[in-house]
Amino acid sequence: MLKHLAQRIATSVPVLLGVLLLGFLLLQLVPGDVARVIAGPTATQEIVEQIRGDLGLDKPLAIQFLLYLLRVLQGDLGYSMINNTAVAKELAEALWPTAELVIACLIWAIPAGIGLGALAAMNRGRWLDRAIIAISVVGVSTPVFFFALILMIYLGYHWQLLPFLGRSGPIWTLEGLASLVLPALTLGLSIIGPIARMTRTSALDVMSADHVRTARAKGLAETTIMLKHILRNALIPVVTLIGLQAGFLLGGAVVTETIFSWPGVGRMAVGAILARDLPLAQGAILVLALCFIIINLAVDLLYAALDPRVKAS
Amino acid sequence: MSEAVGAALPLHTARKPRPGMLVRLMRDRVALAAGIVLLLIILAALLSPWIAPHDPYLTTRRRMLPPVWEARGTWTYVLGTDSLGRCMLSRLLYGTRSTLLVGITATAIGGAIGMFIGFLSAFYSRLDGILMRINDVLLSIPAILLGLALAAVIGSGLYAIIVALVIATIPTVARVTRSAALVVMAQDYMEAGRSIGLPDHTLMWRYLALNCISSVFVYLTLRFAQSILLGAVLSFLGLGAQPPTAELGMMASSGRNELFIAPHIATIPSLAIVVIVLCANVLGDALRDLLDPRLRKL
Repeated sequence: MLKHLAQRIATSVPVLLGVLLLGFLLLQLVPGDVARVIAGPTATQEIVEQIRGDLGLDKPLAIQFLLYLLRVLQGDLGYSMINNTAVAKELAEALWPTAELVIACLIWAIPAGIGLGALAAMNRGRWLDRAIIAISVVGVSTPVFFFALILMIYLGYHWQLLPFLGRSGPIWTLEGLASLVLPALTLGLSIIGPIARMTRTSALDVMSADHVRTARAKGLAETTIMLKHILRNALIPVVTLIGLQAGFLLGGAVVTETIFSWPGVGRMAVGAILARDLPLAQGAILVLALCFIIINLAVDLLYAALDPRVKAS
Repeated sequence: MSEAVGAALPLHTARKPRPGMLVRLMRDRVALAAGIVLLLIILAALLSPWIAPHDPYLTTRRRMLPPVWEARGTWTYVLGTDSLGRCMLSRLLYGTRSTLLVGITATAIGGAIGMFIGFLSAFYSRLDGILMRINDVLLSIPAILLGLALAAVIGSGLYAIIVALVIATIPTVARVTRSAALVVMAQDYMEAGRSIGLPDHTLMWRYLALNCISSVFVYLTLRFAQSILLGAVLSFLGLGAQPPTAELGMMASSGRNELFIAPHIATIPSLAIVVIVLCANVLGDALRDLLDPRLRKL
């Protein structure tokens, strides 16, 4: 298990380095003088020169990248061009709301998707199966923002059931929890379709296996067979799928945060890019990439927990 | 009894030739409907300068007019007007054109590059390792991050979105092409072609490419749906088309300000995206099932 974990962490290092290089090149590719861009349009020549010295911009590119790596490892992501606060501090504050949103979404969407998929598999070929397939195809064809807009119009505005603007407080307060519901619902709707579809396919595969026939011959209840004998085996490809969907989930989180004014990393990234606040944008993109790697790692560990064969190897 | 069996199973049945792909596609009514709707949408988008009832950029004083099926709707503006009094139907037609253009351009360019890499990887086994290693790294960077990063570097605009979508398309297409091409590479005619001394480029383009192009094209249909969806999302975030250009994702985003007074401004363009992506997905799924029935249940 530990060896497996170590291996997985080792394989994410090139990806992380790639993303860091991308983040570094982000500032290199910007037309014009990097020091001047970071300093902002109103900075004096002195400040520009000071930044150039601080960041080692007068050195060769490879050295610059190493210096950049060292700074990132020390948690120094530079300063926001707009409000001059430390980027690392801003991001640290935004990280928790994003985690809240993603976890809340996964908590309801994964069981719901698996449940729908299992229901479809049990009713194979009947109208319920077809309806669930149709719903999941429409689901994967719908942009996240459409879910958000519809939920806002109906649940938020017409029926006034839930707040839909911003985060009203920490999650343990009632207001905070209420404000989390619509964003989490939106993000969940966007991933439920693929999960349901994959669960159905995979459950249908397992259903024809010998051990299921044995279980049925023993006279076990249909629900027991579904839960213990089919789903447990069918979940392995579903878990892989959730890992593959991590990037999609991240994109969804960026949109959801932006629409619901949820103060997370995604909204910060979009806001920074639109305001051309490059250090903040660079930091936010880096953190999002890190989230992506961590989700994939978590999925891998879950995979090992579900499939004893992975644990053994 | 025995007579009935004999009647049902004549000894020498003349086997009907298997109908062609297009004919079989025609029999799948849902897929056929999806194909026709998609074709009509593409046609409407192409003809938008001629069939749009108004100038999509002309602002009028009749602002936020609802669509015709609502109480205050008029037939002059069938889908109503937006917050600047511009005709929604005309903007929808022009917007669909921009959205389709982004999706098609990105899929075509990314698909072509991806296919080339896939063919190279399958044809020259010495290149395979390094090409697929690079491919894996590209594959592991989420498309939305690419879009955000590119918008930060080259600024917002349709151009940034297309580049991001192209980069996101390449590794997936390369992988699909490679696995399709590896199957072809194992065929006898490849060996035969090589033994009669055909040059590499003939083998690669006349033998290899033509034999796996159909499965790659099916994948591209599904990829096209993905590109439209992602492009719309990036535009919605303000990283794509800039006002006043009509583009579906951007239109949906600009309708957010009047979401509760005039919801149609945001919901109509969003619905248009759903219809386009849904049709492409259904069509792509049906084509994939036809080509490879093993994947039918997926």
